[in-house]
Amino acid sequence: MDLERDVTTHTAKIEARNVQVYYGDNHALKDVDVDILDKTVTAFIGPSGCGKSTFLRCLNRMNDTIPSARVEGSIRLDGEDIYDPRVDPVQLRAKVGMVFQKPNPFPKSIYDNVAYGPKIHGLARNRAELDEVVETCLKKAALWGEVKDRLQSPGTGLSGGQQQRLCIARAIATSPEVLLMDEPCSALDPIATAQVEELIDELREQFSVVIVTHSMQQAARVSQRTAFFHLGHLVEYGETAQIFTNPKDPRTESYITGRIG
Amino acid sequence: MSGSLLTQDKRTRARNAAEARFRSYGIVAIILALLALVWLLISILGNGLPAFRQTMLTFPVTLDAAVLDKADTRDPQALAKVTTITYGKLLSRALSAELAARGIDAGTLTDKDIGSLISEESAAQLRDKVLGDPGLIGSTITFQALATGRIDGYYKGRVTMETAAKDKNTSPEKLALADKMKDAGILAMRFNPGFILLPDASDKRPEAAGLGVAILGSAYMMIVVLLLSLPIGVAASLYLEEFAPRNRFTDLIEVNIANLAAVPSIVYGILGLSFFINFAGLPRSAPVVGGLVLVLMTLPRIIIPTRAALNAVPPSIRDAALGVGASRLQTVFHHVLPLAMPGILTGTIIGLAQALGETAPLLLIGMVAFVKDFPSAPPEGLFDPASALPVQIYNWTTRGDPGFVERASGAIIVLLVFLIIMNAAAIALRRRFERRW
Amino acid sequence: MSLGLLLLLLAVLTVLAHVAGRRRAMRLVGGDLRKLHSLPDFYGRTTALAAAVPALILILVWLIAQAPLLEGRAMGRLQPTDITAERPLEAVRADVIRLADGLARLASAGETPAADPAALVEQLKAHGLVLQAEPTPGVLAAAESYRAGVVLSKVWLSLATIAVMALGFLLAWWRISPDFRARNATEGFTLALLVGASLIAVLTTVGIILSLLSETIHFFRLYPAAKFFLSTTWNPQFAGGSSLGLWPLVWGTAYVTVIALLVAVPIGLFSAIYLSEYAGPRLRGVIKPAIEMLAGIPTIVYGLFALITVGPLLRDWIAQPTGLGNSSTSVATAGIVMGIMVIPFVSSLSDDIINAVPQSLRDGSLGLGATPSETVRQVVLPAALPGIVGAILLAASRAIGETMIVVMGAGASAKLSLNPFEAMTTVTVKIVSQLTGDSEFGSPETLVAFALGLTLFTFTLVLNILAQIIVRRYREQYE
Repeated sequence: MDLERDVTTHTAKIEARNVQVYYGDNHALKDVDVDILDKTVTAFIGPSGCGKSTFLRCLNRMNDTIPSARVEGSIRLDGEDIYDPRVDPVQLRAKVGMVFQKPNPFPKSIYDNVAYGPKIHGLARNRAELDEVVETCLKKAALWGEVKDRLQSPGTGLSGGQQQRLCIARAIATSPEVLLMDEPCSALDPIATAQVEELIDELREQFSVVIVTHSMQQAARVSQRTAFFHLGHLVEYGETAQIFTNPKDPRTESYITGRIG
Repeated sequence: MSGSLLTQDKRTRARNAAEARFRSYGIVAIILALLALVWLLISILGNGLPAFRQTMLTFPVTLDAAVLDKADTRDPQALAKVTTITYGKLLSRALSAELAARGIDAGTLTDKDIGSLISEESAAQLRDKVLGDPGLIGSTITFQALATGRIDGYYKGRVTMETAAKDKNTSPEKLALADKMKDAGILAMRFNPGFILLPDASDKRPEAAGLGVAILGSAYMMIVVLLLSLPIGVAASLYLEEFAPRNRFTDLIEVNIANLAAVPSIVYGILGLSFFINFAGLPRSAPVVGGLVLVLMTLPRIIIPTRAALNAVPPSIRDAALGVGASRLQTVFHHVLPLAMPGILTGTIIGLAQALGETAPLLLIGMVAFVKDFPSAPPEGLFDPASALPVQIYNWTTRGDPGFVERASGAIIVLLVFLIIMNAAAIALRRRFERRW
Repeated sequence: MSLGLLLLLLAVLTVLAHVAGRRRAMRLVGGDLRKLHSLPDFYGRTTALAAAVPALILILVWLIAQAPLLEGRAMGRLQPTDITAERPLEAVRADVIRLADGLARLASAGETPAADPAALVEQLKAHGLVLQAEPTPGVLAAAESYRAGVVLSKVWLSLATIAVMALGFLLAWWRISPDFRARNATEGFTLALLVGASLIAVLTTVGIILSLLSETIHFFRLYPAAKFFLSTTWNPQFAGGSSLGLWPLVWGTAYVTVIALLVAVPIGLFSAIYLSEYAGPRLRGVIKPAIEMLAGIPTIVYGLFALITVGPLLRDWIAQPTGLGNSSTSVATAGIVMGIMVIPFVSSLSDDIINAVPQSLRDGSLGLGATPSETVRQVVLPAALPGIVGAILLAASRAIGETMIVVMGAGASAKLSLNPFEAMTTVTVKIVSQLTGDSEFGSPETLVAFALGLTLFTFTLVLNILAQIIVRRYREQYE
């Protein structure tokens, strides 16, 4: 099948080995080993509190912002340990962008929202280049047509689905190599969800996308590989088709058929 | 943005430097704020602590009947006719005699000069003592007299030999004599209870000025504030929080309270002057007027935390009481109010502490006047003239003698001690009864 | 009867009324309280309230109303010749009251007042009371009338209080029957008291506005409003012919406030940013209360600090070496000390406001690879800006209305100068000095304080309302 050939040709972008996360005394994530492949959509599924979002936040060190969080084990991006003391999380996050559960546009204009990343990272040499980046990103996020006439109006004035696409445009404007998405559709209606899912599929051509989702249908629709988390353990990781049709672990099967969750 | 994560590119280094700079601004700001606090406290403590110790002269005084009671009848009316000047002379002679007895050479100083080392207030104190107990006449007592402000200032570093040479109120010879008396044990620095207990003294006698009347006046005002603002504040909060319908009138009251809390305190002083004094004819300088002005000022500051405390009582408690058939008032008075009480009391104590330190409105209602007589017992005493702690401090700073700066700083220490006790009580109350729902 | 005794009597009678009401209710049902509509205590409470509350209100109204009434009556005894150009009505009024007070002291000491005015003055002096002028027969008559009125008023107040109590008690007593809804009656009454208490806040505002307005109008009758609002000189004269221009005072106030904000805003804002964005909970738990201590220190303490520490320091180290001035009271002194006082207002409010910025915005920015300071400067602060502006406005209103620091630190000379090391004066300083001075109450030099008070009140009120609206809008945005 087309899909299988895709998966096998891509190399590992992120290799996580033996990752443990603690929140104070709470051992939130235990012994996680995962290879995230390049130019692939990987879905993390599992019941609430299973550690999937925690793991996602480890991949660009957003857990650093929580004072009580502690991460052990190794996570390598292109072979470099991202928890190495020499690594600046600021540089890392430029390579590993993130889109959040609730759309969180800054209280600035649409243009400034998208231009924010390129400006702080110094990616554009002049105004014209910046304009171009903004336009490209908004086009990639399938938002250009809707907002091209009101780039200077505030981003907070858009509808929920538009806001989330704006956040995606903002995230891809720093030209990341990996895009992390934490339940990007949970606050959206079905139409907006469909638009975002379509977008994710297109983004796969350039980035490696990791998406956390509650909806198994969504995971099945957008991802090529799926990881199932349960109670802080990575239970099963494999090709999406295999996970949904022929799970190896009884817990995965229970979850997919609706017995845990 | 390609390249290794392990090496920082130039731009990242610059950004991290900006980050460190920004962070240091915050640290510098905090350090500046804390330094200001420490500077303030050190300045006040350093200037004020000496006020609690006073230079005193201790020597025997013979209360000669021939001087104090010429008719030798011990008739109080006749005794009262003897003025403080006579007592002053008596003290001068007694001190000179003591110096002669101890073999201390006073040099060129006359008896009168020696007497000028003793505060004029001490003569008045001795007179009061004799009038209180005429039986003392004829005996010899050991009397503790205050040294004048200049001598006291010499031992507190305010006066030096150089400044004394230019000062017509003292002279280097007098300071030298004081040193000799110190060596002989006549003169010593002692703890000075009079600073807390005695009333104010006149412009020329900083050594005798005390806070007695001011502390009592402040206490009277706090009684008025507590008795009026606590019940009125709680009643108003209960109405607004528990009973008031949501309408424009209620909104008006709420906006009003929020704005009253921010009205400058001096405006309350103007209100006190024109309403309580000029319109209602209440006396000037009276604690009752000061108290009423502070009540109006404190009310919004009590209502705001009281409403927060009432609001924190969960609705389930009200539902439970209403469910067993209690009326709304019974519910509120039996259940909600007792549960909110710790929070209300904490807010009240903090409101009182603010009222205690308030100065400006009291200036306008005449509390800055010189008051030497203690007010009588309440409630009549509330209408007698009195001073108040913060106003007494201000009053002292306006006087010429540098000895009053020390007094004012010392008085601030007393004020701050009261405030610390009140705030500590509020914190203790909150810790002890804090309840999480 | 003295007031204390009267209040004590009132308390005792109230307790008795309670007992009597309760007893009567119980007796009516033969001790079976199930037959009563309400608990027996409620019957006691209705009688107690009916007896005490009208009496208390009577005492309060009496105390407030008696002085103007008695004064009016006494002033009627004055002869037209008593009021002269050099002793206007206000002064004579003060004389009458002081003399009446003196007569009362003589009476309590058991002395008869001397008939000869000069001897009377001496006699009063012995009792520690100094009269401004020798009393004329008219003044003496008025004072005697006033004093007699005070004595009589006390007697009548006692009698009236007891009568009102008895009446209230009897009415409540008659109404008691087993079916009487005593609980509802008490509760209705209590509720009325609660409403009354919350009305005091409104009455205070009305009182403030009325007293400021009436005396301001009085002032503008004596002194042209145009000159007050437009003149740039402030030079009050005891002999009259003062110029009372508002501008030098407004300038001083504004200058001090600006310096205070220049000190407080950077320190307060950066402290708030550090505490909310960088500091851990333990550091925050120590530093925040320490900074807030600055807000709990009475202003008189800051005033003394300005007077004895900051003022001389600025003079000796900056003003004199640079030749900018040699006064220890100056705009800079007052401004810096006031800035210290205002720091916690800026920092606490800004801290609250910065904390109200949703965490999701910070995550969004950090997730894009922004540093914490970039996040603060480019996302958090712009989002919090309206709230912070509100906080600064509140701090400014605080600084404008502050009195003691400027009284002790800024000086008293009304000047329009740019030099921060010169002594200048403010609106609040002049309110204090014009109202605590020796001038007659009815003179424009005194009344101008009310016009200044009104200006101050209006200004701070507008600032406060503006700040509240801004802050409220800001909060609603993130709720």
